[in-house]
Amino acid sequence: MSIDRRRFLALTGASLTAAFFAGCDSQGPDRAAGLLAFAERKNEGVERFLFHHTSMDRVARGATAAGAAFPKYFISDTVPMWDAAARGPWSLAVTGLVDRPLTLSLDDLMRMPRTTQRVNHYCVEGWTAVAEWTGTRLSELAKAAGVRPEARYVDFASFDEDYHESWDLASAMHPQTLIAYGMDGHPLTPGHGAPARVHSPVKLGYKNTKYLVRVTFMADRNGGYWSDQGYEWYGGT
Amino acid sequence: MSTPRHHWIVRVTHWVNAFALALMVASGLRIFNAYPAFARKGEAFCCYPFAGKAIPASLTLGGWLAGARHWHFAAMWLLVINGLIYLGFVHLHGEWRDLAPRRGQLRDAWEMAKFYAFVRRDHPRQGKHNALQRATYFALPVFGALAVISGIAIWKPVQLAPLTTLLGGYVWARYWHFLAMVALVALSFVHIFMVFAVDPYALRAMTTGGYNEARSPEARNARPFWWKRAAAAPAPRPASPSAPEAE
Repeated sequence: MSIDRRRFLALTGASLTAAFFAGCDSQGPDRAAGLLAFAERKNEGVERFLFHHTSMDRVARGATAAGAAFPKYFISDTVPMWDAAARGPWSLAVTGLVDRPLTLSLDDLMRMPRTTQRVNHYCVEGWTAVAEWTGTRLSELAKAAGVRPEARYVDFASFDEDYHESWDLASAMHPQTLIAYGMDGHPLTPGHGAPARVHSPVKLGYKNTKYLVRVTFMADRNGGYWSDQGYEWYGGT
Repeated sequence: MSTPRHHWIVRVTHWVNAFALALMVASGLRIFNAYPAFARKGEAFCCYPFAGKAIPASLTLGGWLAGARHWHFAAMWLLVINGLIYLGFVHLHGEWRDLAPRRGQLRDAWEMAKFYAFVRRDHPRQGKHNALQRATYFALPVFGALAVISGIAIWKPVQLAPLTTLLGGYVWARYWHFLAMVALVALSFVHIFMVFAVDPYALRAMTTGGYNEARSPEARNARPFWWKRAAAAPAPRPASPSAPEAE
């Protein structure tokens, strides 16, 4: 083996390494965008195939509730609070492809069948937090409003700026998907989405709209705050 | 005299795997940086002393969390399908016999370690691979499988809850995923170092397939950077009385 070949090997190794790292800390080549979008569509198909209403989230034995350590995210500069003086009492609208559109006060919501569940919250960032949520299953709301068969998606809109996220109907009808108004035995606090929010372990945190004002049943999906910025629309667990 | 060493399926899957693994590690590290810790909120985690310290951005791919997730969830199919082709091939074609652990492997590995540590003078006898190589090339798919299984458990912790539970829950599945990555990266770097420092001829064997057995590490009695020592001390070795069969 000659010196030249050794140098050739060293140069090959060095340039391959350089080429590899040059592509890093970037979103990668633009040409890959189409391929990544294709993979996301196919992955959604796989995720929908894996989805079952009978698959339940269970909190590990001995897991501690996050309590005050439960992160509080919102879009506004300050904690969003419903301004009843300016906007009248808060209410939740259930609209879209339904036979009986509803406008529910918080009391109306609390009179509906109640569910309390201790579940995980899965954040897209990789952390989880345990809490006990109290509320009404979205499926109860759907039953009360009479969802039409052509509805295939649900949008959850908030009063936190223009935050909203749309879901596939199957995930929304999962028995662990709640319109929650209580957390750890107390009414929901403004930091966690008062007066009511979506909470479900079957979707990543960003799909769980806080500061909820409107539930719309739809034939087509309409994206969402984070989905429109590049996060996966499906965001299932 | 050059003889074919690796089947073309092994060569192709080797380089596709290198590419897919690089994508998975780089995008995975960017995902990890969104929460570079393992603890469930409100708890402490026993076994990760670097919590909160981000991985340098230059080692990552994706630019931001969402971009990195798209890369990770796309490249995972390349990694898994390519890995299954490789494993299926070595299973059906018999190459697994060159890799599976066998009797005396620990002793052989110890002899190899002694050789690299200059405790033993002559290169132990070997077939296609030495005992340390065999252990490495067997361990890589094992850690790969652990990375894939723990990755699926993190991806679908509710829909595939039994799998996540089997790994000790979401927090631990994430930890196994991270450790499997560390093992894969560490073994890969050792592998690359040894290729360049001990057997650069293997590079040709893994691209065009040809390999000259007369230049194998055993034939050259090669330790890392063997050529430097060969240039510094070209004198022939004295015959060792304890190894009378040495050439």
